[in-house]
Amino acid sequence: MKTKARKDSIRKRNNFEEKYSRDPMSNAESERRSHRFRALIATAIVLVFFTTYISELYEVQVSEHSYYTVKSDSNRIRIRPVQATRGLIYDRNGQTLADNINTFNLIVKKELIRDKEIFLQNLQKLVVLNPNQIKEISQQFQNRRLKDITILEDISLDDFSKIAVDRHVLPEIELVPKSKRRYLSPYAMSHVLGYVAKVSDDDIESEVVKVHEGMTEIGKLGIERFYQNILSGKPGYEKLETDAKGKVIRVIEKKQPVRGDDIYLTLDLNLQQYIYNKVDKKEGAIIVMDPNNGDILSFVSFPGYDSNLFTKSISNKRYNQLITDKRRPLINRVIAGQYPPGSTLKPFVGIVALEEQIIDSTKLVNCDGAYELKNHSRPFKCWNKTGHGDSDLSYALAQSCDVFFYRVAQLTGIDTISENLYKFGFGQKTYIDLYGEKSGLIPDREWKAKTKQLPWYQGETLNVGIGQGYFLATPIQLTLATSVLAMDGETYTPHLLKGYKSSSTREIFNYNPLENKFSTVIKDRNYLEIVKHAMWRVVNEKNIGTASNMKKIASIEYAGKTGTAQVYNLDAGKSNKKILQDHALFISYAPYEAPEIVVTVIVEHGGGGSSTAAPLARDIIDFYLKNKNKKIASNE
Amino acid sequence: MNDYIENNRRPFTGLSSLFYIDLKLFMPIVIITIIGLVTIYSSSSGDIALVLKQFTRILIGVIVMIFIAQVHPDNLKLFAPILYFFTLVLLILVLFFGVGKSADRWLDLYIIRFQPSELMKIFVPLMLASYYSDKPLPPKTKYIFFAILIAVLPVFLIMKQPDLGTSLLIGMSGAIAILLAGMSIKFFLVSSFSTAAFAPILWMNMHEYQKQRVLTFFNPELDPLGSGYHLMQSKIALGSGGFFGKGIFNGTQSKLGFVPEHSTDFILTAFGEEFGFFGVLILMTLYLLIALRGLSISIKATDNFGRILSATLSLTIFLYVLVNVGMVIGFLPVVGAPLPFMSYGGTSMVTLFATIGIIMSIKSHQRILRK
Repeated sequence: MKTKARKDSIRKRNNFEEKYSRDPMSNAESERRSHRFRALIATAIVLVFFTTYISELYEVQVSEHSYYTVKSDSNRIRIRPVQATRGLIYDRNGQTLADNINTFNLIVKKELIRDKEIFLQNLQKLVVLNPNQIKEISQQFQNRRLKDITILEDISLDDFSKIAVDRHVLPEIELVPKSKRRYLSPYAMSHVLGYVAKVSDDDIESEVVKVHEGMTEIGKLGIERFYQNILSGKPGYEKLETDAKGKVIRVIEKKQPVRGDDIYLTLDLNLQQYIYNKVDKKEGAIIVMDPNNGDILSFVSFPGYDSNLFTKSISNKRYNQLITDKRRPLINRVIAGQYPPGSTLKPFVGIVALEEQIIDSTKLVNCDGAYELKNHSRPFKCWNKTGHGDSDLSYALAQSCDVFFYRVAQLTGIDTISENLYKFGFGQKTYIDLYGEKSGLIPDREWKAKTKQLPWYQGETLNVGIGQGYFLATPIQLTLATSVLAMDGETYTPHLLKGYKSSSTREIFNYNPLENKFSTVIKDRNYLEIVKHAMWRVVNEKNIGTASNMKKIASIEYAGKTGTAQVYNLDAGKSNKKILQDHALFISYAPYEAPEIVVTVIVEHGGGGSSTAAPLARDIIDFYLKNKNKKIASNE
Repeated sequence: MNDYIENNRRPFTGLSSLFYIDLKLFMPIVIITIIGLVTIYSSSSGDIALVLKQFTRILIGVIVMIFIAQVHPDNLKLFAPILYFFTLVLLILVLFFGVGKSADRWLDLYIIRFQPSELMKIFVPLMLASYYSDKPLPPKTKYIFFAILIAVLPVFLIMKQPDLGTSLLIGMSGAIAILLAGMSIKFFLVSSFSTAAFAPILWMNMHEYQKQRVLTFFNPELDPLGSGYHLMQSKIALGSGGFFGKGIFNGTQSKLGFVPEHSTDFILTAFGEEFGFFGVLILMTLYLLIALRGLSISIKATDNFGRILSATLSLTIFLYVLVNVGMVIGFLPVVGAPLPFMSYGGTSMVTLFATIGIIMSIKSHQRILRK
């Protein structure tokens, strides 16, 4: 009973306690334990996070250390190339043709510009800009490839100090010193010297020029291009540590640039300038070469252009002007102008005919002003409608009789003519030290079949006989061919380099013309004498020579051959009607007995060779001889 | 009663005991602050003025810590609601009268300018601990609802400022407190899902620059020179440090200005660049020691208030570390969150020392109720 009552009592008390009371001690204990449990879970979570973070930090700092080291260095280290001074170019007498001047460019780093409009406003407080310049600056803003914007180029020292004083107005801008190429006779020398401009992708891929790391400018044309590797030198560099804003903290390493070598050309500046001044309103080419060694004394392609324009970032507008100019000033006519040589080819055709014994010096051809060919409705006309009567080779050359050479060409045949003209240098490059040379054209059956899918007609042979039709020669080829005549077959590759001076050792390396000497075999020296004498008659035999009626040079005699090439030309762009226009040509060498210079003159649309080209050549020869005598006098 | 006195006396030996200082908690912090001073000195290229300024803040922090450590936890518990609601009012005032550069976080009281949101970093855990202290644990569902309300109110107000980083940190410290107090698995799952559902609303309430930051975080290559720039450069700085670092004064990333904020939010990159993984490992271990010490204190604490509060606060400090380091190594989006005890700056330094002061107070004012 007691037990049961006691049990009941305990149960009741338990129930009561359960209902109305909490045991604070046991409750606190469970709370302590449950908190301990949760705190331990929290500890575990903390440890998991700790481990994850540490392993990621290990990954970044230890595993990928080298990757980030490179990134860090490329962040702070900038390589700034230091441009090498380009070698100077002199003429044969040591007169400077191209040098370098120090200018300043006003630039701004694009990333420093927050607001373009505000920047432009502030800029105009500092420098005066015309609307075109502002437009160009805006275009540079849009060009994603540019990091720096060039505001002004080639600032003179005066303007430099003006801008430098007010620089605080726009702290972003920088005045960067720059060495700039300067051409002292920009128009007369434009084609032969070429110019220097910014390195382009084409230059980097080019095999003929070496683009050194950090090089910004490169010769594009002419001598600047051909001797780029000699002239350029090698840029140095500065390894700079910069901060995040690009400010230079210190120079880590520096390598000095190697100066380019100076070049001496065979050109005579005075002669070149004299010639250019005579012809700058015309179009054509004039070459003066020393046949004794291949030295080009004068290399004039006219009209020229201002080569100094290209050393700036030439604006599109001016470039387009040059490209679309009807006079085509950008074409180097001396090596890339291909002309029908006209009658200037006759001496060479004559030699071929003599060699092949088609004719001899006494062979006569009757000229009655035209030459009839079978199966040809229209006769081939001679320039002299009344005819030359019975002519031998010498007379035909002196009179430039067409009928004689029609006959000779017909007898010789195109195969023999084309085959034998190669030895005078026609139809192939002369390999003068310039790029972009054209090889002209000696047409033959094979060529015609290939390009026109047509058989060769005899009438075309006749045209080749007088240097017309498909036949094309460059002025430099004519010069070389003339020197074959003048030197009795002993010729030298035409060249412009006289020598260069090493910038490091000051040693002079001279071009050796003997390394490029060629002998043209002419079967009988007399053939040459016949033709040369005929060319003497052209100039000297009064009333017979086609160039004999002009004023003579007092002291010496020289030989030449006139040529008038008929070409079709679009009527100066005015209409699309093709009109016939004559190119005036003249090949010559002087003095007659011991040739010192070969002069080739081509004036496009210049009328007759005897009226336009020959007097030019005479003046050039005269000028050359007077200068030579002056020099001899002053030396004595 | 004897036990109580004895137990109370035993730890009170020496100077530190006299000031209720827990050396095991304090020592790692001292080392971290020294590391911070060295890093600031180095990354500012030897700007001693900057170091002195930071040192002054540390001193003020330590004084605040010692002061708070003297306060009995019961008093904290008592004043928690007053402090909490007072700060809540300040937060509302900030919305109307706040000043600041990009966001109005500061309240100008003419004498001092301060961010009420910083105070909430302490007061939310304090209020929650105080709220739970007289409830039986695990709490009933309705108490949890009130607890969530206590946490969410300031979070919402701070988000409106807008200060997404701080509001999320406070929200998480509130969540830690609530989780530590305990809840049923079912409730936990339900609340987790509802939080997830809340995310789109959060996204819609975010400002454009905040959205941008989150987007860049998920795809840093999108904008390597914009928001992603911070992350890229900080990883480069850390990674180029290697195992032993570039050596003091040799950090280029931070000194040359590639790492922005190299003395404040991104101080770890400056430190990691010069002291390497080795240095970072030591630093992270120090933070771990602080967290573990705090949790150990909470386990030994004698009442729920002390337990919840000390555990929450120490976990929160570790959370700050995780957020800052996570942001530096690309685990988390770039939010403005300083590295505790290291980053250059006054408010957070004082707040953190105050937090430590509270933990120390809980540790050193333990009452023994049993036996």
